[in-house]
Amino acid sequence: MIGGNLTKWTMSYFAVAIVWLIIGECLMTIGFGFPFAATEAPDTLFVVHIVCIGWLSMAMCGALFQFVPVLVAKPLFADSWQLPALMLLTVGLVALLGGFMVLGGHLPVWLWLLPTAALLLVAGFGLVVTDLAITIWRARASIGPAYFVIAGLCSLCATAALGSAFAWSLAGLGGASALLRSGIPLHAIAGLGGWLTLTAMGVSYRLLAMFMLAPDLDKRRIRTTLFAGSATIGLVVAGGLFAIAREIGINVVLISAGCLGFITLALYGRNIISLYWRRERAQLELNAKMSAWGFVSLAAAVLLAAVLAISGSFQTHVEAFAFLVAFGWLSGLVLAKLYKIVAFLTWLETYGPVLGRSATPRVQDLVIERRAAKWFVAYFISVWSGTAALLLGQSAAFQVAAFAMAVATLGIVQQLIRTRRLADVTGPLRLPGGSRAPHLLYASI
Amino acid sequence: MNDDLVAQVRNALREVIDPELGHNIVDLGFIYDITVVDGTAHITMTATTPGCPASGFLKDGAFRSASRVVGIDSVDVLMTFEPAWKPSMIEPATKALLGFP
Repeated sequence: MIGGNLTKWTMSYFAVAIVWLIIGECLMTIGFGFPFAATEAPDTLFVVHIVCIGWLSMAMCGALFQFVPVLVAKPLFADSWQLPALMLLTVGLVALLGGFMVLGGHLPVWLWLLPTAALLLVAGFGLVVTDLAITIWRARASIGPAYFVIAGLCSLCATAALGSAFAWSLAGLGGASALLRSGIPLHAIAGLGGWLTLTAMGVSYRLLAMFMLAPDLDKRRIRTTLFAGSATIGLVVAGGLFAIAREIGINVVLISAGCLGFITLALYGRNIISLYWRRERAQLELNAKMSAWGFVSLAAAVLLAAVLAISGSFQTHVEAFAFLVAFGWLSGLVLAKLYKIVAFLTWLETYGPVLGRSATPRVQDLVIERRAAKWFVAYFISVWSGTAALLLGQSAAFQVAAFAMAVATLGIVQQLIRTRRLADVTGPLRLPGGSRAPHLLYASI
Repeated sequence: MNDDLVAQVRNALREVIDPELGHNIVDLGFIYDITVVDGTAHITMTATTPGCPASGFLKDGAFRSASRVVGIDSVDVLMTFEPAWKPSMIEPATKALLGFP
């Protein structure tokens, strides 16, 4: 196959992800979890997992089902696994949240919820990982962006395995108390740094090159960044587990991995600057501009981590760093890319089948960037304000920032819905003969 | 007569636009070759990038538009990425409209 296919359920993943994002932002607005509870408190874990699994992982899975076939120019191994995976992940997340409610004393002592959630989430992510890994393996692709996805999927397996061990241990069914005591940083770094960041790096290379018409990056550059990134996560997981098993403390491992991670992100930054610099499209679209704000947030997070580490206060402010990574870098990039992907996929679904038979609009005719831009600006400003509020210990200001994030997110979502409904395409071009209006939540293919 | 049919097929292909760039695939340089043999149009074309989800639709669109040319009985479209498409293949007037260097 040369051309990729449209996947039926990518929009459903995006819709579910956005609902979780808004729930997460509303919870932060009302003061549920950190900074009104401790970092490791069940209420904080409740919000963290809504954001990391419900929002970021769901959005990433939906995007990967659509774009891994683009990365390797081969069809997906099993289209029919997408919906079961979505259902397993959703039910698994609800069970996990129920488990945290139990630990927080908000529900009766139904400790079986945590291992049940672990089984469901492992089954859901298992389907995703197997489908994508076989797709990439069958393509026999040379080292490139797809290998970042492989590294991300390996990290996802590590994250899920560690999370499952915690769940069983918390339910009193496992003896991993040492792991539970010291292993949470490994789980968080494998998830945010490995699964989400390495995958986002690989996908961003391809999507930015595709949408900005930039020449593909030199393979050596990609390989070096990939090896550095994979080594960072490998060191965290393998070195961390070894250190915990030998009871020698994981700080040395984390500091070494931090240095390697810094090198990885510096290499990635150089590659991204090169893509923007060498692009053929002089005029940047909104998604590329807003992605750049996501990259700036990543650079700011790296700088913040370095300053905090040097001043010896990283442990005190780790939440502000994680917040900037999750909402400035990852969520910012995902929202910016969603703005483009939703328009692109909606165009393909609606107008692709009538191409050559009727006049059709352009992808850019499905969006009004000027209207969306203000919501993106509001989103990033509120994320950066929220980070500053956390650093300064201003809980009320953090709530205001979270509220502003929720409003801005709703503004962006409204634009996505308008795109999906073709609301900004006027005249006979909107639905030429033979075309069908797309469904809001899935692709009619 | 044959050259005339080739020209008609080329013109028909101008109805197909690349959704991202918003211009027709002929002016964008996506059409590498058109020949007409015994009423069959053979079209060799490309897209901006291998694996692009739009490439299948572009191929189908080229097939449909060429099929409507009077005198063409069948159409054979080959999608290739050798050589890879480059922005330098765009017609100068279109390139200027797109703001490409």
